[in-house]
Amino acid sequence: MTDLVVNNVQKWLGGVQILSGASFVAEKGRIVALLGASGSGKTTLLRCIAGLEQPELGIIRIGGTTVLDDKAGVALPPEQRQIGLVFQSYALWPHRTVFDNVAYGLKLRNVPAGEIKAKVEAILEKLGLAHLAARYPDQLSGGQQQRVAICRALVYEPKVLLLDEPLSNLDAKLREEARFWIRKLILDLKICAIMVTHDQAEALAIADQVLLLKGGSIVQSGTPLEIYSKPETFYAADFMGTNNVLSGRLVRTSGHSDMIDCAGLSLAGIWRDREPPADANSVRAVIRMEAISVSPEPSPESAPFDVEGCIYLGEKWEYRLKRGDLRLRAQGHEPLGAAIAHCRIPASATWLYNP
Amino acid sequence: MSLAAQAPRFRATVILTLFAMVAAPAALIIYQSFLSAPFFDEAARPSLEAYQFILTDPEFYRALWTTTLYAVGMVVVAVPLGGLLAFLITRTDLKGRRWLEPLVLVPMFLSSIVLAFGYTVAVGPSGFVTIAFRSVFGAAPWSIYTLPGIILIGGLSHVPTVYLYVASAMRRLPSDLEEAARTAGASVWRVSLDVTLPMVLPALVFSAALNLLLGFETFGIPLVLGDPNGILVLTTYIYKVNTIFGAPTYQVMAAVTVFLILITLPLVFIQRRLLRHARRFAAVGGKGARTNLLKLGAAGQVIALSIIGLWLLVSVVLPVGGIILRAFVENWGEGIRLSEQLTLANFQRVFELPSLSRGIVNTILLAAIGGAVAVAFYLVVGLAGHRNHGRTGTLLDYSVLVPRALPGLIVGLAFFWLFLFVPFLVPLRTTLFSLLIAYIIVGLSYGLRIIQATLLQVAPELEESARTAGADTFRTWRDVVIPLVRPGLAGAWAMIMIVFLREYATGVYLMSAGTEVIGSLMVSLLTSGAMDQIAALSFISILLTAVGLTLALRLGAKIHD
Amino acid sequence: MINRRQFVLASAASAGVLGAGLSARAQELPAGYPADYKAMLEKARSEGAVSIYTSTDDVQGRPIVEAFQKAFPGIRVDYNDLGTNGAYNRIISEAAAKQVGSDVVWTSAMDLQMVLVQKGLAEAYKSPEAARLPGWGNFNDTLYGTTVEPVGILYNKAQLASFKLPKTRAELLAFMRDNKDALKGKLATFDPEKSGTGFLFFSNDAKTMPDTFDLVRAFGATEGKTYGSSGAMREKIVSGEHWLAFNIIASYAIEWAAKNPALGYILTSDHTAAFSRVANISKGAPHPNAARVFLDFLLANSGQSALASVGAPSIRTDVTSGLNLTRLTEMAGGNLKPIPITTALLEATEPKNRADFFRRWKEALRG
Repeated sequence: MTDLVVNNVQKWLGGVQILSGASFVAEKGRIVALLGASGSGKTTLLRCIAGLEQPELGIIRIGGTTVLDDKAGVALPPEQRQIGLVFQSYALWPHRTVFDNVAYGLKLRNVPAGEIKAKVEAILEKLGLAHLAARYPDQLSGGQQQRVAICRALVYEPKVLLLDEPLSNLDAKLREEARFWIRKLILDLKICAIMVTHDQAEALAIADQVLLLKGGSIVQSGTPLEIYSKPETFYAADFMGTNNVLSGRLVRTSGHSDMIDCAGLSLAGIWRDREPPADANSVRAVIRMEAISVSPEPSPESAPFDVEGCIYLGEKWEYRLKRGDLRLRAQGHEPLGAAIAHCRIPASATWLYNP
Repeated sequence: MSLAAQAPRFRATVILTLFAMVAAPAALIIYQSFLSAPFFDEAARPSLEAYQFILTDPEFYRALWTTTLYAVGMVVVAVPLGGLLAFLITRTDLKGRRWLEPLVLVPMFLSSIVLAFGYTVAVGPSGFVTIAFRSVFGAAPWSIYTLPGIILIGGLSHVPTVYLYVASAMRRLPSDLEEAARTAGASVWRVSLDVTLPMVLPALVFSAALNLLLGFETFGIPLVLGDPNGILVLTTYIYKVNTIFGAPTYQVMAAVTVFLILITLPLVFIQRRLLRHARRFAAVGGKGARTNLLKLGAAGQVIALSIIGLWLLVSVVLPVGGIILRAFVENWGEGIRLSEQLTLANFQRVFELPSLSRGIVNTILLAAIGGAVAVAFYLVVGLAGHRNHGRTGTLLDYSVLVPRALPGLIVGLAFFWLFLFVPFLVPLRTTLFSLLIAYIIVGLSYGLRIIQATLLQVAPELEESARTAGADTFRTWRDVVIPLVRPGLAGAWAMIMIVFLREYATGVYLMSAGTEVIGSLMVSLLTSGAMDQIAALSFISILLTAVGLTLALRLGAKIHD
Repeated sequence: MINRRQFVLASAASAGVLGAGLSARAQELPAGYPADYKAMLEKARSEGAVSIYTSTDDVQGRPIVEAFQKAFPGIRVDYNDLGTNGAYNRIISEAAAKQVGSDVVWTSAMDLQMVLVQKGLAEAYKSPEAARLPGWGNFNDTLYGTTVEPVGILYNKAQLASFKLPKTRAELLAFMRDNKDALKGKLATFDPEKSGTGFLFFSNDAKTMPDTFDLVRAFGATEGKTYGSSGAMREKIVSGEHWLAFNIIASYAIEWAAKNPALGYILTSDHTAAFSRVANISKGAPHPNAARVFLDFLLANSGQSALASVGAPSIRTDVTSGLNLTRLTEMAGGNLKPIPITTALLEATEPKNRADFFRRWKEALRG
């Protein structure tokens, strides 16, 4: 069942268009990540769904109710949208205990006191917070605050759960934990969740569907696997992963695979842009760092590079390689001893795009 | 009507009401200035006579010139001194800075008319200090009834306003900038000049603009100290115009006021600009920056403490001490031993006279209960403007500016008329409500700023999370915003109480039998020269202010912006 | 200015006088009171209050208010000290708003009081006490003089010990001229630009005495200072900042000199002007009968005694407490010249006349 429909939402701020026609749908029991760099409009889009911002154009439906329709003049305030929102800062009310923070949404819905108590206790129990019910927010750790914020947004069973960078205020260890349990929790509850993040790893780990935003519109949408391994634009390819980006000239000969000529090196690649080449003299190649194999010995299809340096990263080494004006970053499990290394760049990993 | 539409409607109602309250007196004054007689007189015709009169009156030009000198002079005195005090107290390891700070702010809380009386009885030509000095050295080489004297006193008493803004800007400065300069080999004074000063320049410029404005509207100090030598500023010119004509000449008073507005309104706008700019500038410095204090060294401590001590002596000890002494004597002068003259007679008389004792009670009521009503009112207005980015929000912004440009004396007069001629206000005229309403308008920009600052401390997500949890705007205010700002409201109440305690100009025309207030009583007593009662009332006013200030500090009032 | 003891005596005295007068034996009206006065008194009682707009400060006004309330316990007095301009301002504004709040207007601004009559804001009423007043103190049974307050000199005895004190206006002029340098900055007088009373004194002088601007010129030459009130000048004389103030309210000076041995006063024997606090009943007064009773009380022996006891000498000749018209005339060497309450007072309110006067005043002051 479709719980959220966002159709052609457009918003301007002081003459600048910050959302230029975002559309997507989200199903019950699925997690959608709005991924993008800062300024891509992802948070604005989330706030438009929540009703905290008013887009000038567009339609938004939550659980079958139209909450925004510019043509029909509908713009429900946040409190009538049946949503739960988890803020980046958690926004727990400092003057209320954990219990009261969580209970507030139920109180507003005139749920009888006994039922409130049962529901709040149940959800606190579920998230391992039962013993903290009487505490005030400033007596909690960051991770505990985050869980309280999630309880507060979930307890009244909203149609859609909105999460604004829910993990960004946690330290690295907790964050990895949280990716897991948040996903599990949402799948358990079978609700529709929309999460805003700028962290691709987070998006890939939690979401069922990733929407990549740029300049207020959705550049690509797909499963985490699709987004990572089949980016359809240069922006999407470059945004995900750690990449080598080469500029060059496209050489196309029928019967052969596409080639890119850059700084004297000719590489075989595949055209991945959803558009055909616009200008053959100016194309970009994106090569994921992990796709390049480096060895001290030459092999067929390999090319020699000068070794500029090796950086130890813990679980692996990063190599800085150079050939003429061309520089590459690659990785491996051993430091490179010699001054020269040989790189093999598979054609299937050399993705070619319009710039 | 859906719930969603109620909040904007509430905002619009509140803000339009406020606008009416603010615009009515201003409009009435402007209208009056273009008439040939009082607006209620049947003989009143549209006319430019009033402007003709003032523009051909040399006294007006002299008053305008004096006012300009006074305002500029005040800035020249107050800004460097206020900046220096702020630097010493916030950025150095000055000894005793913790208890020096509230002391430095004292002149700000005293009504300027009380301060002026204080200077008269302490260092006026017949003041205690002057007489003592003369008896030892043969002559006292100063005169406070001259323009330089008045400017100096005005400037010294406005040091705290500069201090407040500059100190809060300095507190926000990260100390690593100064430390970097120190490690590069600069002395404390070099650091303050080369690093600190440029960083707080916006705050200095802002407080200069603020003091310029206050200088143009100043009333109490020139009223008391300028009087003996006939030194007039625009506000006292307004007050005096009556006697030139032998009868109240409202059109002329109004025309001068319009001139004053023409000067002050641009200042108010500039100030508003600067404040925004200053905030942005300060934000660059980062919030909650850790500050390490500059070491003054032994000699530095002595110099710094002497500067502050001297300033405190001149700005606080002299006037307050003068009032305290004068309140307890009836006769003094050369050859009279003060110890033999101590008496409670002045107070006895004050308490015997129904109008004066009523004035004390009224002042307390107006300050304490009226202050609470004002806080509630400002809160309602503040909420109406809170995160209001619509047209009414802009209207509110501008409405707040209007009373800043109007002298309190004239606001009081305009309200007197409004209460007389607007039918539904008539029953309120002879009650304290008339004064309260005028006070609320006069104190609007200050009071609202305190409330708005408090409201802004509530992070927007705290309100938004209530909204998304299902609370409408009102519910959010009730359940989240107001509980969170409650401690701030108590402090705001105490601060507004002090503002109402020290107010004197507004009630001059507005008060009547039964609604007397201390400050305005002093102005009217001044015309009959009853210094005994004035001194006693000043003393009581200082006492009440001290109580208010203690309460404010107890309640954790944020004196800082 | 009055001390507590004086005040208690004054109220006791006036209450006593009244006991014999109007209230306690209200059945028997004093001689000269019409027979229907009793009925009016009843109405006044049922009105219950009387509202006074005045420029007489509370210290001076209190004894008469208390005496009145003792005599007429049913009538509350709302006493509004508004200053001369304040009172005038309020009266014309309230009249225009048709919300007259004043019953009796009682101020020292003789000219503004006359303007109120001219504007039709004062109500005529023939007081049974009118016959006791001098002719110059009653204007058309509408404005009544209630006091006679001389204009004179206050000085600091110690500071002037080595000088010959002036006893006449001519001597005052000579004193200022002869001691021009010694008196530099030591003289004070009323400022006609700041004070209506000061204007009244000097403009009246200018009309009646040819030497007025010579005096001002001589004063200007000593670099004397001008003040807005007698009290302010007293303050400076007491402290020794000034040595002598002329054209101040001498009835106050007499009180102050009696209390403070360091001070002395002079009524010039060749000419001593005097002004009067003038009372009238407001047209449309909310308590018209109480207003009449209060006005009569102001003029009656008992009220006049209460006033005289606090330094506002009686306009009557038969009042024994404090000073009265007869006694003051003697003190001024027979040359007491009260300012009469006539339409001539209106001249002072003509903008042109005022402008002329101020021009001459400033010229003289500059020398």
